[in-house]
Amino acid sequence: MNLFALLHVRLLSLKHRLKSFHGKEVIKPLIFFLIGLVFWTGTFIIFYRVLGYFQGIESLGDFLAAKLLSMVFLVFFSFLIFSNIITSLSTFYLSQDLQLIFSLPLSLSEIFFARLADTILKSSWMVLVFGLPVFLAYGTIYHVSFFFYGLCLVVFIPFLMIASSVGIIITITLIHFFPAKRTKDVLFFLSIIFLVFLFLFFRFLKPENLVDPERFASILDYFAAMRSFSSPALPSFWATECLLPSLQSSYKGSSFFYFLMLWSTSLGVLVTGNWVAARLYFQGWSKSQESRRLRLSQSGFFNRAIDVLVWPFSTSTRAMIEKDLKVFFRDTTQWSQLLLLLSLAIVYLYNFKVLPFDKSPIPSFYLQNLFSFLNLGLAGFVLAAIAVRFVFPAVSLEGEAFWIMRTSPLSLKKFLINKFWMSLIPLLALAEILTILTNCFLKVTSFMMVLSSLTIFFMTFGITSLGVGMGAIYPRFKHTSTAEIPTGFGGLLYMMYAMGLIGLTVVLEARPVYLLFTSYIQHTNLPLWFYGELSLAIFLIVVINSAALVFPMRYGLKNLSSLEDWG
Amino acid sequence: MIKLINLTKKFASLTAVDNLNLKIAVGETFGFLGPNGAGKTTTIKMMVGLLNPTLGTVIIDGKDIAQEPLEVKKIIGYIPDRSFLYEKLTAREFLQFVAGIYGFTKKQCSGKIQRLLRLFNLEEWEDELIESFSQGMRQRLVLSSALIHNPKVIIVDEPVVGLDPKGSRLVKTVFKNLTHAGITIFLSTHVLGIAEELCDRIAIIQEGKVIALGTMDELKNKDDEGLESLFLRLTGGEEVSESTAALNLRVP
Repeated sequence: MNLFALLHVRLLSLKHRLKSFHGKEVIKPLIFFLIGLVFWTGTFIIFYRVLGYFQGIESLGDFLAAKLLSMVFLVFFSFLIFSNIITSLSTFYLSQDLQLIFSLPLSLSEIFFARLADTILKSSWMVLVFGLPVFLAYGTIYHVSFFFYGLCLVVFIPFLMIASSVGIIITITLIHFFPAKRTKDVLFFLSIIFLVFLFLFFRFLKPENLVDPERFASILDYFAAMRSFSSPALPSFWATECLLPSLQSSYKGSSFFYFLMLWSTSLGVLVTGNWVAARLYFQGWSKSQESRRLRLSQSGFFNRAIDVLVWPFSTSTRAMIEKDLKVFFRDTTQWSQLLLLLSLAIVYLYNFKVLPFDKSPIPSFYLQNLFSFLNLGLAGFVLAAIAVRFVFPAVSLEGEAFWIMRTSPLSLKKFLINKFWMSLIPLLALAEILTILTNCFLKVTSFMMVLSSLTIFFMTFGITSLGVGMGAIYPRFKHTSTAEIPTGFGGLLYMMYAMGLIGLTVVLEARPVYLLFTSYIQHTNLPLWFYGELSLAIFLIVVINSAALVFPMRYGLKNLSSLEDWG
Repeated sequence: MIKLINLTKKFASLTAVDNLNLKIAVGETFGFLGPNGAGKTTTIKMMVGLLNPTLGTVIIDGKDIAQEPLEVKKIIGYIPDRSFLYEKLTAREFLQFVAGIYGFTKKQCSGKIQRLLRLFNLEEWEDELIESFSQGMRQRLVLSSALIHNPKVIIVDEPVVGLDPKGSRLVKTVFKNLTHAGITIFLSTHVLGIAEELCDRIAIIQEGKVIALGTMDELKNKDDEGLESLFLRLTGGEEVSESTAALNLRVP
């Protein structure tokens, strides 16, 4: 009964949250829903087309589809375990209502199962929602009956339960040895490494080879290699084996055996989890209440480097930069995201290095310069993606300590301008490195080199100002983790505006550049009106980027000045 | 030194502070008392520039905070009731940061920082991250940071919240010394003992309005009652004893 009471409280909270959405507040979830729908539809289309393509390959199609399903389950399983470890840290150790829960006359088993249900729901809904289009695509391609979808459901339930229980057991064991807050940092760092690894792994597998028939032998090797990943001991393998016979009539396998494996294992790990919790959970939770005393290692070199870096600025600006840099490098959830950025940059550069111009029927001079031009848009996108992680949260990172700034004699205008320069300098350096290096790989003309370097230079000012300004318009001072700041409505809106700015700039430059290269290839003279059009394009680019530089900061300042509740 | 003229703050239909008028002299310690939700913190937030008044003016050292916010903030030391700080800085780094914001270089403030850390018993923890500090340590650190720039006015919301008796005694001694040095203190508190011990004058506020104002003696002499009885009588707290009697709580 107690277990149901605990779950009922959660459901009531959810109900009240849903009820609180009315009027304008409906817009935010609606936009999230629409974006989710686009992503959902996109996933369906991609899987539908890939599976359709596989179907066209005689004798190998079913094999490839089966391997793909096995990979999907393996990725889901890995993601779920990580997600459950992180979520269970909050639900089992850091959640504030635990103080109340532990003071109530509830058994440890009741608390464990209530928190388990909570963890499963919080960590698995995304996999369920975004897994659905994958299975719909399989179902559509293989013309299955409703039995397949019912089977998916009864396969997914134990699959999620296994991943959750395993994740929770790992967390409980880890907390037994380390303090909860430190473990959260370590796990966040590990999950970033995991993501970087996955990202680089899939990129360097060269998925573009799938569309190159000449390399098909190596793809077979690739799938053969992937076979080693699908160990028969993994629940992802059992889930695949359960579903395949209902998809491919020719598939020979003992579906029922693996179905029993899934369910018996899920019940087994539940019992094991309860057993582990009975022994370790309360001691670990109790330990997580104790404050840790950490003597910070004083790095003289680090402090001196900061001193050198900040000396040209005024005393108050120096104090702000120094504070922001120290906080950044001491917060694992912040600096570890640099690894993601690094992997993004490596893959970005690598993509340009391996572009097969030699195989193209279009003159490579034209193509190289065209790519350099497209690169502007892509580099802008990469910058916006980085800015939403590092620039947009700049104001929110002050957190509930923002009262210190508000009551200090530092004006909010100077505060925002400081944040702008602090973000601009590293972003500008990255923007120019990316653009110049990719242009070098592409061996573009000097004209394109200068044009793209200049454009990205001015665009970075707009992207940065938009980030700081929007961050001030939509601040999230009451965040529990830095990583959650860009995931809100403001972050989303920032990405949309940034993409609009980049898109407009690139589109405005497109026609004059196109005309220029056409005249160069065809050895014709440019008409006089071309220069008029070029001037107009440059003028509009300057106007748009200046507006992006000025207005977001102005509105951000206005919003911060009138803000009355942040802590 | 401090003038609150017709100060009013409305949140939608709720009037949190209603036409408040106060004058506080240089070197005076002024106590601002009231039950929860009476409008104390709202008044203080308007005085330090964290909230904009709906109506009225706050004048500190002859300057209107709405007109010259930065000039006023330069001479104020503010101690909030909840000490949210930069968790990833050490105590020393935090004080260096605050001093920097007020325009002091590390060299200029290093001696003062050391003295403050010693005064508030934080020297032993000066190189530890604030995230590992107890509530009392945080409060002492905020007190240190409020004094770093030699303010003329100290505005404090619940000065001893989270402090142990030793810390509480220390704060009272520091405040007394500051008043002797001519610094004006505006303090809001629930601890009536502190108000009795420190304040030259006291105002009791309820539902955003001042319902009593005067020196301790003036307030006490009216009915020759203590501050606690006066406070409970004025703010309706006397009902509490009747309510608890009605509950008829018995120890088994």
